[in-house]
Amino acid sequence: MRLLGALPKVTLFSFGLVLSSALLIAAEKGLPGSKPGVQLKIGTILASNQSQDFDPRLSKMKNQLKVFKYRSYRLINEEIQDVPWQANALFSIPGGRSLVVVPQEYRDRQVSLKVRLLERDKPLLDTSVRLRNRGNLLLGGPVHEGGVLILSIWAMAE
Amino acid sequence: MMRNCTTVQRSLGAWLDAELGEAERQEIREHLEKCPSCLAEKRRLERLQSALGEALRARASGIAFEPFWREVQRRISEREIPWHARFWDWVRSILYPQRLAWVVPVAMVFLVGAFSLREFFPGWLSGSQRTARTVVDSIDGHGLNVALFRESESRTTVIWLFEDHEEEDEASGSSTQGNPF
Repeated sequence: MRLLGALPKVTLFSFGLVLSSALLIAAEKGLPGSKPGVQLKIGTILASNQSQDFDPRLSKMKNQLKVFKYRSYRLINEEIQDVPWQANALFSIPGGRSLVVVPQEYRDRQVSLKVRLLERDKPLLDTSVRLRNRGNLLLGGPVHEGGVLILSIWAMAE
Repeated sequence: MMRNCTTVQRSLGAWLDAELGEAERQEIREHLEKCPSCLAEKRRLERLQSALGEALRARASGIAFEPFWREVQRRISEREIPWHARFWDWVRSILYPQRLAWVVPVAMVFLVGAFSLREFFPGWLSGSQRTARTVVDSIDGHGLNVALFRESESRTTVIWLFEDHEEEDEASGSSTQGNPF
């Protein structure tokens, strides 16, 4: 304590700030892309014209869903997985379908994904996309229970 | 060097005012212990100093210093400082070396903070929209029709997969899949 007392306050404060900077830089290095994985969230939404109901769990996506002309939107499933880079993540989609997502890399604050939609063993769609970190893509079209399925594919590099 | 009474009595004033060095003080002290006439002279000087001090204190108590200091204070506060003098005072205070020492670490913290925030708010600082939207590099519908739709306001990108059901839609009068937008 005597040693600390002998140092000028400005020196101590400057040291504190430099230490804070170092911690921030370390935190920056620890941000997206430096850890071995990505968090994927797949939301399965049933869109139809059979009612006027809007699932309140989809309120955050209301603006995005406005691009469609359906009257009813219901979240029927949501699944989150932490997936290592280059590993396959399998998500079950209603109607005997499945979605396979393979995270490729994180670059320029974008998460690259390979996405494959299957109906049983038959591939329906293959696509390569780059989502902004914590951003999503909507993939829709498969018919289900008088409506269509819209899949929200969301990714966050950890 | 031994002092005689004349030199001692000449130095008594300085001795009483503590203006002499240690050696001289010691010499005079020793002389006063042995010399009654010089001791008497020393006492006379002390009485004179004391009387003068009392007279001055009595005189000073009758003088009103308060109005004098008030006037000095008023003149200081009324003194007009030109804006450029105030500006240079401010610049000098900013450029004071100890304050400058804060600039480098503060700038470092600011810059690192800005770059960190960019991770959480893509497009901020750089103004780049390039990474703010979803990019579709390739699509293969395996024989099905595929539409790619973008909406800029909500930054929505949609890949829509559909079969050609125009005939069925026309027959049923509904269109659940073919044209969702």
